[in-house]
Amino acid sequence: MRFAVEAWAPDYGAPIESETLEPSGAAVDVSREVPAERWSARRPPDKTVPPSRILFIDGVRRIDAGVWIHSADGVVRPGICASFAAGAVRCDGRASLADARVERGLFCAAPDAERIETPRAAYQPRAAQGESAESLSLALQRRMGELEVQIALGCEPADLIVVDGPLRGRQNVPGAIGYVKTHQVSYLPPVVSDVVAELAEGERTPVFFMTSSWSRFSWYLRLPGASGHPWAGVVRCEAGADLDPRGAAALADVSALVLPRFASRAHKDPRAPQNLYPIAGLERELRRRLGDPALLYRALRGVAHGG
Amino acid sequence: MTEEDQRPVGRVIGTEDATPLEFWVAVSPGEYLQLDDVVALSRRPPGQEPVSIYGVVTQVRARHEGARFDSDVFLIEDGVLPAEVAEAARVTTTRFEPEVFLPPLPGTEVRRAADKERDEALFFDGMSKRLPAGLTRDGAPLWVNLEFVDGTRGAHVNISGISGVATKTTYATFLLYGLFTSGVLGREAHNAKALVFNVKGEDLLFLDRENALLTDAERERYRRLGLAPGAFGSVAVYAPPRAGDPAATADVASRAEGVTSFFWTIEEFCLEELLPFLFADAEDDRQQYTMVVHNVAARLKRATPLPQGGVSIEGAEVRTFRGLVDLIEAKVQDEDDAYVWAGRAISPGTVNAFVRRLHGAVRHLERLIRADVPNPERHRVALERQVTVVDLHNLNDRAKRFVVGVVIRKALDEKERSGQARPLLFLLVDELNKYAPRDGSSPIKEILLDVAERGRSLGVILIGAQQTASEVERRIVANSAVRVVGRLDAAESGREEYGFLPGTLRQRATIIKPGTMLLSQPEIPVPIVVEFPFPGWATRPAEAAAPTEGLPEDPFEGFPKP
Repeated sequence: MRFAVEAWAPDYGAPIESETLEPSGAAVDVSREVPAERWSARRPPDKTVPPSRILFIDGVRRIDAGVWIHSADGVVRPGICASFAAGAVRCDGRASLADARVERGLFCAAPDAERIETPRAAYQPRAAQGESAESLSLALQRRMGELEVQIALGCEPADLIVVDGPLRGRQNVPGAIGYVKTHQVSYLPPVVSDVVAELAEGERTPVFFMTSSWSRFSWYLRLPGASGHPWAGVVRCEAGADLDPRGAAALADVSALVLPRFASRAHKDPRAPQNLYPIAGLERELRRRLGDPALLYRALRGVAHGG
Repeated sequence: MTEEDQRPVGRVIGTEDATPLEFWVAVSPGEYLQLDDVVALSRRPPGQEPVSIYGVVTQVRARHEGARFDSDVFLIEDGVLPAEVAEAARVTTTRFEPEVFLPPLPGTEVRRAADKERDEALFFDGMSKRLPAGLTRDGAPLWVNLEFVDGTRGAHVNISGISGVATKTTYATFLLYGLFTSGVLGREAHNAKALVFNVKGEDLLFLDRENALLTDAERERYRRLGLAPGAFGSVAVYAPPRAGDPAATADVASRAEGVTSFFWTIEEFCLEELLPFLFADAEDDRQQYTMVVHNVAARLKRATPLPQGGVSIEGAEVRTFRGLVDLIEAKVQDEDDAYVWAGRAISPGTVNAFVRRLHGAVRHLERLIRADVPNPERHRVALERQVTVVDLHNLNDRAKRFVVGVVIRKALDEKERSGQARPLLFLLVDELNKYAPRDGSSPIKEILLDVAERGRSLGVILIGAQQTASEVERRIVANSAVRVVGRLDAAESGREEYGFLPGTLRQRATIIKPGTMLLSQPEIPVPIVVEFPFPGWATRPAEAAAPTEGLPEDPFEGFPKP
């Protein structure tokens, strides 16, 4: 298979944040835990049992090079060579890396894409739906999500599993909650925004049910250490739609009880407090394991020229 | 070699430069490397025989990987932030075999060196004559190549360290014990001699007494070095006579028997020109009166000997040092005699300075220079036993210098007269800074320099010690092939005299315990930390076991029989 490496820097075609891919037109049902008129900030009840073992799951991805694939049919299609990794941090008194896996893939719509073997690493072909930068990035995102699910399922069972980002595609991990740091609030009923603004540190909103292209329970909670505006330090959590509202509320209580402990401080993390310490540490570790981008880029170019 | 020793303890890391002289090793989980551990690894250059690289651990560090801020340690210990503890050891290389100076490659397995590999790492394999120098921290023997002590390729040992905690003298005597009893000197051990000056307390007066406090564990350490624990076999102890005692009994408090008092007769003082040794202060050479000293010494040489060590000088009989000083004073100040005694055109001020100095010596030296005791030849320091201890501890500095200077000069003269380097004579001199200070010159300093520079060929080996090498004549320290450092104070350890110690060892010299020394010898590029066993001989009266010999079978021998 012939291919050429795009001379432009690989990150030029701005990858898409998964969270911005969320369609904004979601239907929201706020009366699953309490009726809308009784909405108020909630604090986990005293009887809430803190989980003894929490698993934080996250993945990182990096485009090592943009490539052009010469197919047998004479068409030249764009693709990306990307390194991505997923891992888990187990917090059970100590925080330790429970598992981490690195993969590299050639994401491309070409039907006859082959594995690219470089002296440093090999890129496994992965089919993408389209040729646009968005669909290539989406394919990468999806594959990384699958890897995260594999990691989560492969780890010893934990009392709580926190998955960084929306739960989408990862609902089948039992007991997992999604952890969303950025918000699009336009679709929310006004009562939600009002209660969010009232949240004190460690408090959460009641659980509500969201349906867009997929369904899930969701709630907002405020982490300690931020101030200034009504949404400072607020994160949104998601739980699988297969739970009953009571189970979702119990999970929400547990999250409100334990997540503030892991909230980062502003001087250590620019995304504080929402970027939790274990996830930040995991991301650093995973990025390190992705390897040196300059070295991989050089290796890819070397192979492209040689082939 | 056991499986354990062969197991790799870590790998060379690639995040710090690996150089042929120094490299870092990441320590495998479940393993450890500590300072002074000896390690080995190999590298096979393309198309060549494998190269064995040996080294000594000179620094170890542990750190959190994954932490960016100092305060992250609290998060990590709190179980919030994931991090790994990584340990790494810096290795300073000692040897490449064969000598292909390549850096070890990152990722290479590093193993603990034991047995044969350890011998190669520390060059023991090439030492045909090994002098035990103590035990390294892992309990294995450290050897010094005798060829760098006995004059074959180098000579002299220099020991620095703070008084009291550095155990310099004990280490020096330990080396001596090894020289005499390990068999390293072969048949020569019988004839080799040592001259030891005891400068502090009565510590060295019990070299021939077994140490009652020696434990079995310490005995075992001696055996590991191939030594039989015990005391020195053949020791003579000399001490100055008690001041004011006409019978000249030895002035020691803790040992009653087997101590001989020493002094010089007026005859020896005059005929052997010992006068300059009275003027051995560092500043003396800048004074005018040295001319007077030499003129007077020349006149004294003409004295006529009388029985029992007295002299007659120009008709006057002299039997005491005070009498001699009075006579010299009269001569140099006499209008007629001053011309020949003091010298030409010597100003009265210079003569007075000389006389003042001379008088200052009387009180301290009159017990050491005398002709009022019968059989004075019995009180001469003679190097007949294997170890001769000369006690100086209750003499003042001026008298100490006189004794050290005169005794060493006589020993040197004898060696020169014999014309042979063998058998060896070991000189153990503590407080070298007193006798060979960095600045100025004096007769004693000249003699010690002579030993340092010519001792190799004369067969006179200086085992010198001082608190601070920076205060001792540079050439004496520089001529010592083996250098040993005990505890140093921080300011001293930073001086250039200790340039042979790498930075971490300099720091370490400020904290090491008594009984531990840093030893540098020419063949091993890194000084090695060495511990030596508790002395097998007594170092103070409380340790002395009852003498096993010395009491005559018939305690009344010599008394008239009834």
